[in-house]
Amino acid sequence: MNTIDFKPGDLVRIKVKSQSYEGLVMPRTQYEGPEHITIKLKNGYNIGLSLNRILESSVIKRGDEAKGSEATVIPSEGGQVHGDILLLSTGGTIASRVDYRTGAVKPAFSSKELAALIPELGSIASFSIRSLMSVLSENIRPSDWTMIAKAVQEAFLAGFRGVVIAHGTDTMHYTAAALSFALENPPGPVVLVGSQRSSDRPSSDAATNLIGAFKFASSSRSRGVFIAMHSGLSDDSIAIHLGVRVRKNHTSRRNAFHSVNRRPVAYIKGLTLNENTVIGGKGEFIVRPNFDDRAALVKFFPGMKGSYFKFLVDEGIKAIIIEGGGLGHVSEDLIQPITEGIKKGVFFGMTSQCIWGSVNLNVYETGRDLLSAGVVPLGDMLSEVALAKSMWVLGNGLNATGQMPLDLRGEVTGRRWLSVEQD
Amino acid sequence: MSRIRVGLEIHLQLNTQHKLFCNCPDPQAGQGRVEFRRVLRATAGELGTLDPAAEFEMRKNVVIDYVSEEGTSCLVEADEEPPHPLNEEALRTAIITANIFQSDIMDEIHVMRKTVIDGSNTAGFQRTAVVALGGAFGYKGTSVGVQSICLEEDAARLIERTAAGPKYDLDRLGIPLVEIALEPVEMKSEDVQSMAESLGRTLKLTGLFASGLGTIRQDVNVSVGESGIVEVKGVQKLETISKVISYEQGRQLWLVELAEILKQRGVSEKDFEGEPLDITDTLGEGLKGNLRAFCLRAPGFSGLLKRETVKDGRLGKDLADISRFMGFNGVIHSDELPAYNIDEAAMERISAAMNIRDGDAYIILKGEREAAISCLKSLRARLMMALRGPPSETRMAMADGSTRFLRPRPGSSRMYPETDIPTTVVSETMKREFSLQIKDWDQTVKEFMEKYQLSRDLAVNILDSDYLNWFTEAMERYDMPPSIVATTLTEVAIMLRREGLGQLQRDSVFEVFDLLNKGSIGKEAIAEILRISLKDGLSVKESIKRLGLTGISTDDLRTIISEELEKLKGMDNKKAYGILMGRVMERVRGKIDGSIVNEEVRRKLGI
Ligand SMILES: [Zn+2]
Repeated sequence: MNTIDFKPGDLVRIKVKSQSYEGLVMPRTQYEGPEHITIKLKNGYNIGLSLNRILESSVIKRGDEAKGSEATVIPSEGGQVHGDILLLSTGGTIASRVDYRTGAVKPAFSSKELAALIPELGSIASFSIRSLMSVLSENIRPSDWTMIAKAVQEAFLAGFRGVVIAHGTDTMHYTAAALSFALENPPGPVVLVGSQRSSDRPSSDAATNLIGAFKFASSSRSRGVFIAMHSGLSDDSIAIHLGVRVRKNHTSRRNAFHSVNRRPVAYIKGLTLNENTVIGGKGEFIVRPNFDDRAALVKFFPGMKGSYFKFLVDEGIKAIIIEGGGLGHVSEDLIQPITEGIKKGVFFGMTSQCIWGSVNLNVYETGRDLLSAGVVPLGDMLSEVALAKSMWVLGNGLNATGQMPLDLRGEVTGRRWLSVEQD
Repeated sequence: MSRIRVGLEIHLQLNTQHKLFCNCPDPQAGQGRVEFRRVLRATAGELGTLDPAAEFEMRKNVVIDYVSEEGTSCLVEADEEPPHPLNEEALRTAIITANIFQSDIMDEIHVMRKTVIDGSNTAGFQRTAVVALGGAFGYKGTSVGVQSICLEEDAARLIERTAAGPKYDLDRLGIPLVEIALEPVEMKSEDVQSMAESLGRTLKLTGLFASGLGTIRQDVNVSVGESGIVEVKGVQKLETISKVISYEQGRQLWLVELAEILKQRGVSEKDFEGEPLDITDTLGEGLKGNLRAFCLRAPGFSGLLKRETVKDGRLGKDLADISRFMGFNGVIHSDELPAYNIDEAAMERISAAMNIRDGDAYIILKGEREAAISCLKSLRARLMMALRGPPSETRMAMADGSTRFLRPRPGSSRMYPETDIPTTVVSETMKREFSLQIKDWDQTVKEFMEKYQLSRDLAVNILDSDYLNWFTEAMERYDMPPSIVATTLTEVAIMLRREGLGQLQRDSVFEVFDLLNKGSIGKEAIAEILRISLKDGLSVKESIKRLGLTGISTDDLRTIISEELEKLKGMDNKKAYGILMGRVMERVRGKIDGSIVNEEVRRKLGI
């Protein structure tokens, strides 16, 4: 074996037993071992050669010094923000691109570049881009919700009509719920948007989802927080979901996000907005952006031990949202540790792991036991929404037992229609 | 005369159990069927440049419809789920193929995305990987170099193309293909064709590949002299290869000559300055809605747009095809005027408006402003390329061997890594173990002749046939004369195809064999039954009924023989045999096997 001194970007010639190859040395991911080298041939194909097989090698031309894989953030455009829509970028694949040569993820485009890539956006509304953070959606924390809420507030103060937030999809519905509570009566639509296929591929849903989000943010009279994503398999219809009634229900499909227990607020077909309803009233815009992350979401399962609740209470958790079975039940041996937690001042709220429908603790004995222990039934509030809400309630010094079961932003629906399907 | 260089790329479908990146197909699956609609957008390649072919196609902005059925495609083909890891059975086959040609097998397989945004891939790219490079194939004592052996996924199957855009079925998408690219050779077109045939036979004998129409496709790359390479896609039949090569040779030589003529006429790149102009009012004819007419000057092209040396090899036709590709209904050019409601007076007005000089031509395109101007700029680019001879481009092979413009030839910037699929390491052990003793063609033909008692021609035909595996299956299942089965699958199949009736249907063919095997129909009826069934879309049973071929019993046959013999009373038995046989056959043809009739007639006559 030769001593090989290649760096990504170098143009090299490599000789093996029967052949000789020429190409660019490519960076390797951390999952690819050091025993091979990746070469990009002139025709664009990458090949992997074992270092053991290399008989001779030479560098034809040194490449540029490889850049680090650290993400670079494009700063806000000159501090001057203007236009109808502010696009806030938080990370995720939707408003990001991959530098294949260095492997670095660049999390933002300039508004000019984005408008060039998706010409429809410019025809819908004028817009600016602000790159707020570059965080994969699984790494978003409640403190990030605070930051986003404040940025939305600034945008409305600066005169934008609507705000579109590019977000990774895994936790987008948590962020949507959190912002729904943090931003009471926003002056215009706040629309979260993501993509299930990364924007570096021709089939990405990023462009059509962004078009839908822009259309809604720029022309709907609704005030509130929403999610814009594909409504089906096709690229011709985008659904607008209410931020507190939406859930990611599929790992990979474009239409992973579904409204639960209500219809989407609107659809965008092509460039046409079809609204089912107008959300939000005339109230004053109030921003309460704080979140206290001492809350937990716990899914009940057969065999669950009471000590889990004791552990959470001892850890200082102040609010526990339970995803109970069916109408909101847990096994009877959990009632004692829950009662003890409530006695120590911890809030216990009950939601259902069934996703569709409402909890009802009056039907069975276990439910009535939970009620008398002080567990608060949360109606048909989605468990993820309940979690975000409890963090917001704690963070803003509100009374959990009083506020949690109330319908503040549409998170609790009193009526559920037969005609709303579970799909 | 300029040298012609021809490079062959052969694509063979693998008969693996599953597709390259998912667990389809599943014969047990339900009948569910879903249609959906997508739009594809070009993205920058790995090195940050937009691929010319992808960019060209993006300007079309077409909407694509897809059909997915449960048995043949899943979320992966619909681009609704990430691809699964590379199918190991397919990789094994590709390695075996590489070993046949002593090709250098890569130590790691990196799956790439090759941008294709005509809609034939839902993701907007085809997944492809180099498995081996180099090697050689022996043909008639010479060695033809192998460039590369790739493993790639087949594209979706086009089922219709309407004004709204193409519609594809996802059943074929993702089927593994091995692509073998040969080094360009300087050979006569007939030799290239027989080399392809020989290569195809070698590969077919491995049993690793699927058979049937469309399971093997050739791309033919042709270049004349120093010109760019023209890639002709989709040559479905071997017999067309030499025609395609001759056609391209003729067409490209004309383009070489065209460049020379333009040079003599003193045309240079700066003559192409000047934007397309709106001539709607000059034309003075009413156009519908937003439609306007736009005109582009073609400096020095007078008389050259319609000239051709091979059928339909006119530059004017290529320009029309480019415009069609961009969503227009073709162009009008001055070489074909006066016509299309444009009279001499209108022509004079256009010439004045466009500043047309002697020797110039012009092109008129009708459409919406932005799209039409963008299209005319593409046409102007194509006209400028004419100064340098045949441009590098991708063309489509037609059934008659002619070719039509498809798209510009894609560059290397359309390749970027498939980040969803981990790199696969190929060990030295795998390289050694996945190999196969290849069979000799002549030896195989000889064995076939002996085993099935076939003539050489019939043995070669059935071995070359798309239905070879039906033949071997029928031989295992039935105790029938192999020649009857072989004839049905070769001569009858070709005859019906020439009649425009398409491919044989597997179920019908085996049902017919079944009946034949039981003696319920005669071999004389095979072609007729299959013809009616294909032509009128009938089942085998219905076809037999329609033909009045419902079989007769041996007892019925005996009655008929007695009846006919009665009419020949007094004739010598030996003399009567021929006549009797003829008359009986006339009444029972196709309803019962001829050998049974013969046997019964002889018995009756006692001879
Ligand atoms: Zn599949």
